[in-house]
Amino acid sequence: MRNLSFKLLIVVFLAATGLAAAQTANISTLRQTDPTVDDLPPPMRPVEDTNVREPRNYPEQPPLIPHDIEGYELSANFNKCLSCHARAATGRSQAPMVSVTHYIDRHGQVLASVSPRRYFCNQCHIPQRPDEPLVTNTFIDIDTLLSMPKE
Amino acid sequence: MREEHHLSSLVIHARPETLDQVVRRLEQEGCEVHARIELGKLVVTLEADGQRTLNDALTRIQLLPGVIAATLVFHHVEENALEEEMSA
Amino acid sequence: MTLSRREVLKAQAIVAASAAAGITAPAAAQSIITEREKTELTWSKAPCRFCGTGCSVMVATKDDRVVATHGDAEAEVNKGLNCVKGYFLSKIMYGADRLTKPLLRKRDGVFHKEGEFEEVSWDEAFDVMAEKFKTTLREKGPKAVGMFGSGQWTVWEGYAASKLYKAGFRSNNIDPNARHCMASAVAGFIRTFGIDEPMGCYDDFEHADAFVLWGSNMAEMHPILWTRLTDRRLSAPHVKVAVLSTYRNRCYDLADLELTFTPQTDLAILNAIQRHIIKSGKVNTDFVDKHTTFKRGNPNIGYGLRPEHPLEQSAANAAKAGGAEDMTFEEYEVFLEDYTFEYASELSGVPVSRLEELAEIYADPKIKVMSLWTMGVNQHTRGVWVNNMIYNAHLLTGKISEPGNSPFSLTGQPSACGTAREVGTFAHRLPADLVVANPEHRKTAEGIWKLPEGTVPDWVGAHAVLQNRKLKDGEINAYWIQVNNNLQAAPNMLQETYPGYRNPENFIVVSDAYPTVTAQAADLVLPTAMWVEKEGAYGNAERRTQFWHELVPAPGEAKSDLWQLMEFSKRFTTDEVWPEEILAAAPDYRGKTLFDVLFANGQVDAFPISETKDHPNHESGHFGFYAQKGLFEEYARFGRGHGHDLAPFDAYHEARGLRWPVVDGKETKWRYREGHDPYVTPGAGIEFYGKPDGKAFIFALPYEPPAESPNDEFPFWLVTGRVLEHWHSGSMTDRVPELHKAYPNAVVYMHPEDAAELGLHRGSAIKISSRRGDMLSRVETRGRNRVPRGLIFIPWFDANQLVNKLTLDATDPISKQTDFKKCACKVEAA
Repeated sequence: MRNLSFKLLIVVFLAATGLAAAQTANISTLRQTDPTVDDLPPPMRPVEDTNVREPRNYPEQPPLIPHDIEGYELSANFNKCLSCHARAATGRSQAPMVSVTHYIDRHGQVLASVSPRRYFCNQCHIPQRPDEPLVTNTFIDIDTLLSMPKE
Repeated sequence: MREEHHLSSLVIHARPETLDQVVRRLEQEGCEVHARIELGKLVVTLEADGQRTLNDALTRIQLLPGVIAATLVFHHVEENALEEEMSA
Repeated sequence: MTLSRREVLKAQAIVAASAAAGITAPAAAQSIITEREKTELTWSKAPCRFCGTGCSVMVATKDDRVVATHGDAEAEVNKGLNCVKGYFLSKIMYGADRLTKPLLRKRDGVFHKEGEFEEVSWDEAFDVMAEKFKTTLREKGPKAVGMFGSGQWTVWEGYAASKLYKAGFRSNNIDPNARHCMASAVAGFIRTFGIDEPMGCYDDFEHADAFVLWGSNMAEMHPILWTRLTDRRLSAPHVKVAVLSTYRNRCYDLADLELTFTPQTDLAILNAIQRHIIKSGKVNTDFVDKHTTFKRGNPNIGYGLRPEHPLEQSAANAAKAGGAEDMTFEEYEVFLEDYTFEYASELSGVPVSRLEELAEIYADPKIKVMSLWTMGVNQHTRGVWVNNMIYNAHLLTGKISEPGNSPFSLTGQPSACGTAREVGTFAHRLPADLVVANPEHRKTAEGIWKLPEGTVPDWVGAHAVLQNRKLKDGEINAYWIQVNNNLQAAPNMLQETYPGYRNPENFIVVSDAYPTVTAQAADLVLPTAMWVEKEGAYGNAERRTQFWHELVPAPGEAKSDLWQLMEFSKRFTTDEVWPEEILAAAPDYRGKTLFDVLFANGQVDAFPISETKDHPNHESGHFGFYAQKGLFEEYARFGRGHGHDLAPFDAYHEARGLRWPVVDGKETKWRYREGHDPYVTPGAGIEFYGKPDGKAFIFALPYEPPAESPNDEFPFWLVTGRVLEHWHSGSMTDRVPELHKAYPNAVVYMHPEDAAELGLHRGSAIKISSRRGDMLSRVETRGRNRVPRGLIFIPWFDANQLVNKLTLDATDPISKQTDFKKCACKVEAA
């Protein structure tokens, strides 16, 4: 079957409950108002600051940062993230250790410490704010996909 | 038989203390409950054979005791039955 | 294996509702699945969909869905790494609002400009669209149709679009959004070297002793190249990183030398560097004598505004902006006399000592230096000049075309080079650096395309900003936009973009995967297959061409841009769109469809479907031949033997990309250098063969002020740009929940003291206004960007904060690229 067609009606927590009509004036989903009319953006909300880890969508996904990192120094001189996530620090911090992939350099050599090319953690790992997405995402992870009945 | 088939999913907000009762009534309505948060959120799917039937069911769900809001998130309609195979 | 369609839909429904409810979908009950057949995934390579770095990713599919992605360990570009956007590629196609059917504005069952969108069939969509294009062509001619494409087109999509417009409709009004992005880099290359694209490659990162970032925030915008730069800097302690920017950004975290300068003054800084190289006796005289020529560029060239604008009226050389005259080295030295470090410091605000330190990086013959730049230099009313002036520094010292010595222009889009530039989808270009204004070049194109002489028009078409002006003025009436979000991206939206889209005389078609704000402003929206839903090819910033296969089906009735272009061409006959004199001279072409003459020409349709080797391919299945291969092989004829050699089609499906020119199966890492580049004449050592005499130009170019500067009424510089988490106007990234939640809304970065003076603080609601419009946002005084006083930075990815309501549609007069980096605005509490 190569043709999936479905219609997403309402995106997040809109109070509307009726079915969408076949025709519509506004198709833009990330912006609800006419391009010439602006709404005030929602208040800035602080990043989520917990110790609860979000499950990954697939094993290769870099884990999200569940805690606030504002003010962390991440410079050529100092890497605050490693002060908890470095191998030697995890006994004290109980934080997850930097993944073993991070010890491998460009040429596949395993190094004694984190490879410099992985030095800036925030290129891959990002904290989250409590702002819900404007559009839902229908990605299905492999476990859900495999658990669906097959004929 | 070729007929219209509607598949939808809803987020239901209900008062936490009524959650058991709401789930029971939803199941009587033909909904499948897929996730439940004790603070008062449910994720359910609802299938129907026509827009009218779906609308009626939605209206009844919104009026269930304990339900604060029922929000339709996903709705798919097609004319054929949904048993076509996806080849992999 | 089969899977019930109901179950797939139901799973999507549950995922959508769970996401909406902010809870995780119920996980599988069993902890591990041991049947190997079940858990086996199909892994295939594809280049990343986002920036011009061109990382290779491995894509896992199962049951016609993408289930995982990770960095390709075998790819030289990224060696297993991705940035956060790349790691979330798996989710970009699964936004719940994918377009699945054509949508046409209708009232009472028929098209109506003010109607509401209704689902229509492809037939009805193309019927209405063809009727509008035919009417326009008949009544007003080829100059009244247009197309705005993209550096996100695949190579063959850009090629097919260019052919359809330049040869089919006989209109050169086709331009890519790369005009907003790379045009100044292109003009810089052509002007200095006579041939486009970098001479070096990413291998330079591992060889350089110093890196100079000219306005480029690589840490966020080219993260994987930043990992290579970081690797080099932290592995070799002698390596230095100099960062120039108009505000502090994440690159400063690694900087050994920080130079925050006042917008536009990079021109003065560069001249001070050249002056220092000469004054300190560090000119590589042998190199300069043998390989360079000095030119005095025309000054006072205007700002690319509408011709009636006072700034254009007073610009003596507005009409000959690209002009230059010969000069001697001695005259060049005299020209630079005014550009002392003190003068550059006074203009730029950078201390003299730092300017000296920067200049010495270029001057010192022992330091191998890599210069890097993107939008800061290119989106600049003197962007071509800055490109030229960076080359000056490398040419004066001979630091070029060898490992580690590399002026390197980075690109923003995944195929800005491969498609927009190499295929030549610009209003003035043809493939392989040919141009429409040159009769010999047109003849070459007509020959390869097997078309009658005179088919390709000789006039330069409308570039991006001019297209918007012509839409507003009612001069372009039938307009097709593919793979870009130009209502959000183009400057001066309220005055120059939106009016043209909603002009009742115009019919606007938008092909996209998602309902963007541009789609919202259109009359017809065509649902489009994206990324691995089609077979594709991209070319990255180091001349590397990379292919991928179609891996999963597109949703609903969505079709690729290629399918749309080729299918649409069937609706036109040559008699309808070509003039009688061409048909009279070539009667064999009478009565044929544009599809027949452009695509079923014995070349594009030369390869049977069997050569797809059972890889899915929805276009080829539809048209009955291997369309991608036929288009690529025809296109490659332009460049083979002319310095742009591409390898045979099939080679790219095997390799992790190859850097052109690919001669005798061997890619080229450093052009113009004997031993690396097969086009250099033996014995020449270095040869800039894009110029007839093999010599590159060193340009004398002055500092000139920007088009608009802050004043009492509009006291702030406005700089717009990007953030790590979002790319391409957020149309894909803002549909990935993790990326959205990392950076949900645009904010205005502002100096805390400026905020305090205005009675504002972090999070305050504000209105930002310019002479062209206003916008609502919130103040950010901390975070990743620290701006100086008197300047604000706003990212433009947010569909709810259309920052281009504020920007000025001033362009570089040579490249026609907009300056999105400097205009004047004011800020007040909202």
